[in-house]
Amino acid sequence: MTGLPLHRRVVLGAMAATAVMSQARAAAPIRLGVLRTVSPAPFYIAQSRSLFAAQGVDVEFKFFQAAQPIAAAAVAGDIDVGVTALTGGFFALAGKGELQVIGGGLHETKGFNLTAVLVSRQAYDAGLTSLDKLGGHSFGITQFGSSFHYMLGQLASAQKFDLKSMALRPLQQVPNMVAAVRSGQVDATMAIASMARPLDAAGEARIIGWVGDYVPYQITALFATAPMIATRADDLRKFCRAYQAGIAAYRAAFLRFDAAGKPIYDGSTDAAIADITKYIFAGDPEAATKIKAGIGWYDVGGALDVADVKAQLAWFASEGMVKGPIDPDGIIDTRFLPTR
Amino acid sequence: MQEVKFRGGGFAPRPIPFAGALTLLLIVAAWQGAASLGWISTRFLPAPLAIIRALVTLVQSGELRLHLAASLSRLAYGWAIGTLAGLIVGFALGLFSLARTPGLAIVSALFPVPKIALVPLFVVWFGIGEGSKLVTLGFGVFFPTVINTLAGVDGVPRNLIRMGQSFGLSRAAILAKIVLPGALPAILAGFRITTATAIILLVAAEMIGADYGIGAFVLSAGNLYDTDALLAGITILSLLGLAISWLIGRLERWLLAWR
Repeated sequence: MTGLPLHRRVVLGAMAATAVMSQARAAAPIRLGVLRTVSPAPFYIAQSRSLFAAQGVDVEFKFFQAAQPIAAAAVAGDIDVGVTALTGGFFALAGKGELQVIGGGLHETKGFNLTAVLVSRQAYDAGLTSLDKLGGHSFGITQFGSSFHYMLGQLASAQKFDLKSMALRPLQQVPNMVAAVRSGQVDATMAIASMARPLDAAGEARIIGWVGDYVPYQITALFATAPMIATRADDLRKFCRAYQAGIAAYRAAFLRFDAAGKPIYDGSTDAAIADITKYIFAGDPEAATKIKAGIGWYDVGGALDVADVKAQLAWFASEGMVKGPIDPDGIIDTRFLPTR
Repeated sequence: MQEVKFRGGGFAPRPIPFAGALTLLLIVAAWQGAASLGWISTRFLPAPLAIIRALVTLVQSGELRLHLAASLSRLAYGWAIGTLAGLIVGFALGLFSLARTPGLAIVSALFPVPKIALVPLFVVWFGIGEGSKLVTLGFGVFFPTVINTLAGVDGVPRNLIRMGQSFGLSRAAILAKIVLPGALPAILAGFRITTATAIILLVAAEMIGADYGIGAFVLSAGNLYDTDALLAGITILSLLGLAISWLIGRLERWLLAWR
């Protein structure tokens, strides 16, 4: 055992300790880090309908304001699993062997208008009316290496404009991005439907396209910490089964379409919305509309799009935002959920 | 009769040249040693050599020059604006009864406000360009300058002023020859605090909409968990602080030579 790296030894030690304490620890809840948005809806449904309890695991939600802190909290040992966008920071932390991507989440896909490209009125009037003209303009993002930065990079290669010619403005928070495009301080930015549509309707900004129509993208993925996988793989399997049941309920509620491609909403939809509003938009009279605006594609069984994860890692590495060689297979663990 | 021993002396620390630099070097060497021997995990705390490598990369790519140029001009303008305004207000509070109590009330009310919390407002008021960054720095520098200037003016011995008056000096001459030199040590000591404050606020000022700048670089490296680059940026901020502190030391020696 002398040849093992230190963290491996720690993990093995922890495994031994867990084996001893397994009786006592059986009740330890799995701490799940999520954003307080619609995107983790299958988890809300699973929790609300006691699907985790049915599998014999206790799940505790930990809510975060941004994707990056979820990964940091996992490394710090404050959560065991998380659902988040795979940002540059996530890959840097995962590359150190702390985090493993284990399953798929929400997808940007054609037909689901999740993320809009929003252009200021001035820029629109000056001719920025389609995505291929974004080159040379200023663009508000939260941070370098964020999912917005990645989506813009993907749009640039799909629409053949030069990302390097753009002035990227890190504005830290989504409200700042929306404010900056409203006041014309940046030419364009991205915003989710529930924020972008009212601005477009009021003429304060213009939507020139939806990201999912041009660049299909696995926005969120499920990850687990290395100690969780090493010491509580059985609990994690149970957790994943409940997640799959949550996805089945989510798909039944939101992802059925008629011949014209319109979503079919019925009693199961209302039931799911009632489950989701226990965690977000509680007491908001517009909750149902807001939740429907945030609905996106979930694969059957929470399948992980492995190729997409690799493509994301490759892009961050090519942009110099992830340093050092990171083996994509080393940060993906496909033993818990199916792959696409 | 008992002999009284000499009990004077002491309480006069002398500067020992190079002791400061030596201490810092020893700490860094110990850190590197511990990291090389594997006593400290370098996974989330890069060793000094890795930080130096990140610094070298920054210099070679020419990025450092861009970041430094942006930050230094913001520091210079922001600090100058805050200091100038602070000196004017500080002297006004120190000299005029009418300004003193209301002015102190305003300063006391606004000084403890965290400037970082105001950044979003500054962005709305002054835009995401240079304006909001200079205001953030200037605002942070302003209050300590006011307080130090006021303390300096208050600390000028009144008997010197009375003496000037009895010799028939004009008000302007008293200000220039007695109050200003008398307040200068406190004002210069304040500069040490305000330059450090400006460097601390640089990260907040460059949080919104900055392409270049050491603060923006540190934030971006932090977001990407690029720990080598993060600590390289922090090292630059620290060196910047050392350089400015050295400059103020020279300024003090020159301006306070009369002491």
